[in-house]
Amino acid sequence: MNRRSFISRAGATGLAIATIPGIVDSMTVQALAGGDKGLDALLAETDSVLVLIQMMGGNDGLNTVVPIENGKYYAGRPNIAIPKNKTLGLTSTLGLHPALAGFKALYDDEKLAIVQGVTYPNPDRSHFRGTDIWLTATDANVFGTTGWVGRYLGLSAPNFPTVLPEHPLAVQVGTSLSLGLLSTNGPMGVSFRDPDEFYRLVNTGGAIEEVPSSVQGDTPAGREVAFMRSIARAADVYAGIIKTAADAATSATATYPTTDIGAKLRVVSQLIRGGLKTRVYLISWANNNFDTHANQVAGDDPTTGAHANLLRELGDAVKVFLDDMQATGHGDRVSGMTFSEFGRRVAENGSLGTDHGTAAPLFVFGAKVNGGKVYGKDPNLEELDDRGDLLMDMDFREIYASVLLQWFGAQRTEAETVLYRDFAPNAPQLFGSPTALEHDGAPITIRSITPNPANGPVAIHVDMPASSEGHVIVRNIAGQHMITSVIEPWSGVAQLDVSTLPPSTYIVTTVVGSSTRHTTLTVTR
Amino acid sequence: MGVLETRTSALTYVEAAHLARRVTFHPTRQRILSLVGKTPMEALNILLEPVSQPTPPTWWQDPAVFVDFSDAARKWPELQRWWVGHVLTTTSGIEKMVAFWHNHFTSDYITVYFAQFLVRQNRMFRENPWLFTNLSESIVGDPAMLIYLNGNQSVKGNPNENFAREWFELFSMGVGNYSEQDIVEASRAFTGWRVTTTGSSFSPQLFDAGEKTILGQTGTWGANDVIRITLQHPATAQFMARKIYRTFAATDTDDNAVVAELADKLVASNFNVRTAVAALVTSEWFYSTDIRGALIKSPLDLIIGLLSTLNISSIERRYVVDSLRGLTQEPFYPPTVEGWKGHHAWITSSTFPLRQRWAEALIAGRQFGTAASLKTEAGANLKSDLAALVRTLPDANDPSAVVRNVAELLLPLPLTQEQQTVLLEILLAGALDYEWNIEDDGFVTPRLGFLFTAIVRMPEFQLM
Repeated sequence: MNRRSFISRAGATGLAIATIPGIVDSMTVQALAGGDKGLDALLAETDSVLVLIQMMGGNDGLNTVVPIENGKYYAGRPNIAIPKNKTLGLTSTLGLHPALAGFKALYDDEKLAIVQGVTYPNPDRSHFRGTDIWLTATDANVFGTTGWVGRYLGLSAPNFPTVLPEHPLAVQVGTSLSLGLLSTNGPMGVSFRDPDEFYRLVNTGGAIEEVPSSVQGDTPAGREVAFMRSIARAADVYAGIIKTAADAATSATATYPTTDIGAKLRVVSQLIRGGLKTRVYLISWANNNFDTHANQVAGDDPTTGAHANLLRELGDAVKVFLDDMQATGHGDRVSGMTFSEFGRRVAENGSLGTDHGTAAPLFVFGAKVNGGKVYGKDPNLEELDDRGDLLMDMDFREIYASVLLQWFGAQRTEAETVLYRDFAPNAPQLFGSPTALEHDGAPITIRSITPNPANGPVAIHVDMPASSEGHVIVRNIAGQHMITSVIEPWSGVAQLDVSTLPPSTYIVTTVVGSSTRHTTLTVTR
Repeated sequence: MGVLETRTSALTYVEAAHLARRVTFHPTRQRILSLVGKTPMEALNILLEPVSQPTPPTWWQDPAVFVDFSDAARKWPELQRWWVGHVLTTTSGIEKMVAFWHNHFTSDYITVYFAQFLVRQNRMFRENPWLFTNLSESIVGDPAMLIYLNGNQSVKGNPNENFAREWFELFSMGVGNYSEQDIVEASRAFTGWRVTTTGSSFSPQLFDAGEKTILGQTGTWGANDVIRITLQHPATAQFMARKIYRTFAATDTDDNAVVAELADKLVASNFNVRTAVAALVTSEWFYSTDIRGALIKSPLDLIIGLLSTLNISSIERRYVVDSLRGLTQEPFYPPTVEGWKGHHAWITSSTFPLRQRWAEALIAGRQFGTAASLKTEAGANLKSDLAALVRTLPDANDPSAVVRNVAELLLPLPLTQEQQTVLLEILLAGALDYEWNIEDDGFVTPRLGFLFTAIVRMPEFQLM
């Protein structure tokens, strides 16, 4: 028996590979939607891809999106401020760092949005707490152990890791795996530097039989063994799938910069072009490069130096990546976002650098982004906190809510589950069209599905004109009809029971007269 | 009586192996046997035998030439090979403490640039591996640290917060126990130091001698006052106790009563880390079955430990450095100032198969990935003699005993009956057990290769 046979044997004891709930290819979308534009749009949402780029170390926001008319900015930074005439103009009061020519082009092309003043109440100036807070999407005083991406992806794979989705839901290009991708059921993604290297790594073990694990008692060692076996299994299953996708990708039309981020985005592009149905890619610099306490600018020219080089690496690579996505027909389903654990202090320190700060801008990019705009207010340098740091304008979880609701088409209740609170009311409209599936006919809205995810009785509350008649249809992702339930006209509520449905994601269609609305419901056990 | 009751009865083989894996990088059979029958304290004293400083690289006291960087980078690989060579040949657990402090008071060669300062820092950890107060006082003016966390650019009137922040957050108390204002005031107290071409110097005119309030105490404090005040705060003993607990005992869950008792030991001993480590690893609690295999090996534990267990004493150092880098623990290059996160961060979909492939390659005498070729220091091909190793184990002519004894050598947990059966099948590879003859090299060598390979592939092998 060789190592492959371990997988089949494990299959008998519970390993299974499922089609990814919530991810369907375009053929299925067309077949399922059958001309229903609303359903079409809902399903199309499910192959949206998000690329997260982490700027580790705390990016200096004020030197990235420069407040060019602000005297306090220039007064606080006599040696490191970016001169107004060197910046790349955004608005009458803001200019981009001159190294961000790539971002400037995307902004002008309305494919890049800037969100100002992003942080959270009581911001933490520690790299590690700050990073964990951003990745776990908790309040500053909560020490979370799962990531917001992991929790979101976990909703669509309720039986993970016993049942592995067909393709990895998340990929981190690199050897580490981010806290952001952890769900309560373990890492929702795999990490590797290069698809071929990963494949070789997993498949060159030789033909030696796999030894069964020791009894996984609820001891520290038992838990560690279980953890490693689940990591190893995901690597076993996915290495081949990832290589197949990488091999299927036609050669890139674009030339990526030979930088760290350029090389990583090239891998992301290859996998997207090759048909990998991964929802979220995470890439990052390997170290705290943005931690510019000293010499963030060159002594003789504040527009050059360490920080300028990092921004150029970012802007140039993202520009090539989006152009590549557009040229190969994936432009409309790929968006991305940058983030960093904090911005830096308004005033420079004595070392041609800046110390840890608070609020900072972030970038959202992609063809479907409402780009060419700056969201939020210009930094207010008149009112700083007691440390001389910027006050919050936007909570980062509001941006996450925009991504979940508008980009992934998550329901408000799902976003609330993922972010622990309802951030929808202040989520900026960063993406083209949300999955608000408006249609002709009577004005109806699916107000709520509770609970969702569900494993038993579910109440679907529909806002509809008085005394109309309607019903709710639940179908699986293959389009098969599962449940129909009548909406009680006086309450607008349809009751159904999902306890007999296999765990998966289902399409819920509400029909009132000629109006239909669609959304998704997740069933768990 | 606390939860850490001292164990005074003699160690069995399995218990001695547990202790040796936790406090040293060299859990060889010979070493383990030498501890059997001793009390934990007697055994610990053997494992923590004092070490002398290794001969430093010839250039270690060369002046750092700040205008000419071209030559400096060439010394980085020499620096790595120098320390790794020492770890390979030093059986004392003191070297594990050097690694502990390297992961606590971190510095990396890219930022520090001048390898001579990292040699110096490494020697400092070895010179004083136990006394946290003294080590903290020394690290403030340590040239590598002054460069790494910008103390070199921090002067009266214009302090740089980098070191002060990490002092509180990562080096002593942990987050949540101090204010932003404490960082500002402490950064003033840490001023005055400058890196020189041969080390560092303190200049009173660069030092901010004014009044500061640190954690509620006001005075014209200097660096040692900040350290004293920080160490008086109960959070510091807790933080250091937790770190010791997670390094030597378990990472999955903290036993808070044990951590609290370790913190008490630190306070009572004026932060003598040896007192706390000894209380931990000589306790009855440490030998309970729950603590066995409760740690995931760091790449240093994995690599040095397997080399040592296989009695490979001579190996090209470059190969070991490349292996450590490949498994994400490049010496003198921690990913961030927090050091290597450890625990689950060691194991990803990439690093888990990497660890398996690395160990298999060593067993097979093949080089690993793109690492330098697998050679002895003298340049000969390196292949471990598994048959010779197994012949030193008891009952080597009984294949079932071979499975059991090899597993005992390599794994922290006993085999289950099912594992024993499967491994025996793997070992015999179709032969019948009466055909097993340990003296028949041609017969046993490939079969032992199968057995060792199967064992190093097991997740249990990643534990200690």
